[in-house]
Amino acid sequence: MSSAPFSVEEARGLLDAELADAAGRGGLLPADVHELKVRWLGKKQGVVTALLARLKEVPKEEKAAFGAGVNALKQEVEARLDALEAEATARAAARAEAAKAVDVTLPPRVPPVGRLHPLTVVRRRIEHVFHGLGYEVADGPEIETDWYNFESLNFAPDHPARDSVDTFFVEGGGTGRDALLLRTHTSPVQMRTMEGRRPPIRVLCPGRVYRKDDIDPRHSPVFHQMEGLVVDEGITFAHLRGTLSAFAKSFFGGRAEVRLAPTFFPFVEPGVDCAVSCVFCETGCRICSYSGWIEIMGAGMVHPNVLANAGIDPERFTGFAFGMGIDRIAMLLHGIPDLRLLFENDVRFLDRTWG
Amino acid sequence: MKFRLEWLGQYLPGDLPDLATLRRRLTDVGFIVEGTEGEGKDAVLEVELTANRPDGMNHRGLAREAACALGRAFRDVPAPAPPEGPAAASSLAAVTIEAPDLCSRYSARVVEGLRVREASAAVQERLRGLGMNPILAPVDATNHVLWDIGQPLHAFDLDTLAKKADGLPAIVVRRARSGETLVTLDGVERTLSPEDLVIADAEKPVALAGVMGGLATAITPSTTRVLLESAHFTATAVRKTARRHGMHTDASHRFERGTDPETTLEALDRVTALLLADCGGTVARGVIDAHGTPRPRKSVTLRHARLVSFLGMEVPLERCVEILSSLAFGVREAAPGVLEVSVPTWRVDVEQECDLIEEVIRVVGYAALPETLPHPYNPTWSEPVLAREERARDLLAAAGFAEACTYSFVSAEENSPFASCVDGTPPVVSNALGEPFTTMRSTPVVGLLRAARHNVRRGLGDLALFEVGRSYALVEGRPVESRRAAILLRGRRGVHWASEARPADFHDGSGVVAALFAGFGAPAPAFRPAALPFLAPGRSAEVVVDGKVVGWVGVLSGTLAAEWDLGEVVAADVDLAAIPVPPPPSSVEMPSRFPGSEVDLTVTHPFSLSWDTLAAAVRAGAPSELLSVDAKYLWRGAGVPEGHVKTTLTVAFGSAERSLERDEINRWRDDAARRLLAVPGTAVDGIA
Ligand SMILES: [Zn+2]
Repeated sequence: MSSAPFSVEEARGLLDAELADAAGRGGLLPADVHELKVRWLGKKQGVVTALLARLKEVPKEEKAAFGAGVNALKQEVEARLDALEAEATARAAARAEAAKAVDVTLPPRVPPVGRLHPLTVVRRRIEHVFHGLGYEVADGPEIETDWYNFESLNFAPDHPARDSVDTFFVEGGGTGRDALLLRTHTSPVQMRTMEGRRPPIRVLCPGRVYRKDDIDPRHSPVFHQMEGLVVDEGITFAHLRGTLSAFAKSFFGGRAEVRLAPTFFPFVEPGVDCAVSCVFCETGCRICSYSGWIEIMGAGMVHPNVLANAGIDPERFTGFAFGMGIDRIAMLLHGIPDLRLLFENDVRFLDRTWG
Repeated sequence: MKFRLEWLGQYLPGDLPDLATLRRRLTDVGFIVEGTEGEGKDAVLEVELTANRPDGMNHRGLAREAACALGRAFRDVPAPAPPEGPAAASSLAAVTIEAPDLCSRYSARVVEGLRVREASAAVQERLRGLGMNPILAPVDATNHVLWDIGQPLHAFDLDTLAKKADGLPAIVVRRARSGETLVTLDGVERTLSPEDLVIADAEKPVALAGVMGGLATAITPSTTRVLLESAHFTATAVRKTARRHGMHTDASHRFERGTDPETTLEALDRVTALLLADCGGTVARGVIDAHGTPRPRKSVTLRHARLVSFLGMEVPLERCVEILSSLAFGVREAAPGVLEVSVPTWRVDVEQECDLIEEVIRVVGYAALPETLPHPYNPTWSEPVLAREERARDLLAAAGFAEACTYSFVSAEENSPFASCVDGTPPVVSNALGEPFTTMRSTPVVGLLRAARHNVRRGLGDLALFEVGRSYALVEGRPVESRRAAILLRGRRGVHWASEARPADFHDGSGVVAALFAGFGAPAPAFRPAALPFLAPGRSAEVVVDGKVVGWVGVLSGTLAAEWDLGEVVAADVDLAAIPVPPPPSSVEMPSRFPGSEVDLTVTHPFSLSWDTLAAAVRAGAPSELLSVDAKYLWRGAGVPEGHVKTTLTVAFGSAERSLERDEINRWRDDAARRLLAVPGTAVDGIA
């Protein structure tokens, strides 16, 4: 460092030179500015302090002007160094941030995302529609007796209607109506509900059911049903049709229509097959076998024998019941090509949002 | 079932119906036409018939339905009695019904002097049209009548029937005797039981009634004298016999579902006419007509008002009468709006008023039904167990697990290590598809292991799966199904480029169980070391609530992991019903506005001394300001004696009323430290 300047002008020139030099070097940091502040404004050896010390050497008549000049210089130095300091602080902060910068395109740290099974999601969607129509949800055992699964539902022992239902039996039950079996439909829940409660009854019976089918893309010995049951005074066949139509419109969209065709189930009379107009096409597609209709459930008016078996007077009360396969509806809705996907639990299949 | 258009047309006067229209209308009234083949009179319809309509399983019956559906006339084809010779049938054979409850009628004719030939071209063409191969005229004639009017028939070679003491060839309808045998037409020797209904001669069974004839008494090319059987057997009798022998024939298919007891004579006339035409011969005089217990004639009342209120739509009374009459029901208006309806003998399905309502509405058409909704209903009840299952699904999915759906039955071998998961014994499917589908699972974890293996084999090794489902057991012969939340973890947790992943371990498993309880708002369960046969010793625990075991969690035993080829797997299974779910809060206090304070205590202790013991020591006698005790850090290794662990506990204090003083916090910490030190085997840093 050169010796202290002798005049304010000389000092100002020196300041200009030093700051120009610093600017030329570029990128002053707060420590650099601090050094400059000590050198120029330090109480003991600062340039400005040294200049002021010359006051006693200045002729008397020049003292006032000299003093004023030094003060002005001091203020100028302070202002210019404060500005530099602010710049340096901002620069330092920016450098610190830059050091923490990340590649925002790198794979994020995703917390585990859980999934519900499509059968759960579709079941809940069906339940949601019927909740809106005032249905409660009922539940019952999967290991049933012959009475609840068949006989109480008007399947007489040794009746050929049982041929259509390949049943798994469970060892250790009784005989006849006490034989144990894996329920082939959730209708036993209907019977148990009717036994346990008096009309009005309006319930859904979702659950796992079993039929002795070999496993292939369209068959599984385990699948899932959603049945519904309404029993009250004044329930009509037209109510059944209206209910199925309301469901179809809510579930498949407002333009869906239902078509009923006669069929036979022992526990209902009349029994119907219910088809929904294909919502996947205008003029026919593979899903509807180019017929424009997709069969989605069986239904009918509860057989008076079934009501009587449950201790409900069939003359006073009437009812309807319906049942659909949740698995089949899930396959339809989501274009699932093979029923086995629903039970294999391949995580590539499960890792989806099903709605 | 196949039907020829020309054959149906025989019962529909006028032009043959248009095939497409017939197809549509038959389907509308419940006879689903699945397809048609060919055109014109040779066209064949493939019809799906429901089990309750055996009367539609022949051309006359289906034609009657077609006539009604098409609004056309139905005309029966007359079956005149055949010319008879001088010999009385009753002098040539005798029929006895010894099981009158199983056979309401047995009618028979005898034809002598015939020469067995091929059936006429017309009969052969019809049978071929239905996919059958003509055999010999007597057999083809019986088949023709079966497909024409639905009465199964059988022809015996009269000369092969053993005679009774009076010298007459005998037909006896009876139950088989234990140990009797019969070689049926298919060449199979069958051992009979008293469950079987048979036709016997004077000595032995000669036919399984309604199912199949015997080989020894069958028509052969050299047969000259036949006895033609036309009978009505009880449906269950034929069904039991057929099922016992695993047999199914055109005859048994119809008898099992129910035939018309009034059609036996007419069928004999028809078959005899065909036989005479093809084989010649002389018909013995009269029909041998034996009766068992007669079938009651059915009459059902139909109230028009009930029909309207049941359907929810108006169908005029006259229309009801018209429809029922066209289906051959006898209709009489017994009182205004009340019809007394006699049921045709072939309509085995019609028993009650609702059956008649169906007859009317299926012909009117379901498209005519209005779409109305029942009156509004306000649900007031929900099934608590289902609510629990649903909540568990949501909680586990929110915890990052994927929901699996696995079969309820597994193999006996897969299940056996887990059998102790539930009380009782695993239910066994007596007619299973074979392994691995024989045994109802004792825990859904078995299914999850299958799912894990499926994924691991496809290179998908990092798994977090759950299933909310049932476990099954038989307890003293009664089925018990409990609702479980099961989880399975395998592979790495926290896979990300920025940090090293770690393998799923025991604490991930217990953590999910704890999260499940927390999600239900239940107090945290205790984890008690347990020796379970399917879990690794030292890394297995029972989940305990109020001293009761409600589930388990742990690392699958090395043996099982190797058997399943899975490596290390963490699994858990909790009884959902046992989670003590409190009601939602009914009042809530304000959280403290004074910040709490945490202090750390480091204690060196034997590994056998559990965290629960340490935490309990801190809690015992602590001031009410104690908020929580948590584990901060565990160290096993350098600087810690063999068999020991160095555990740092974080103890939090706080008050709802005031800020805590440093001095009192320090005092509480020191008190806690002394309590820890009092536990045998411990050393606490900073405390002598
Ligand atoms: Zn379509």
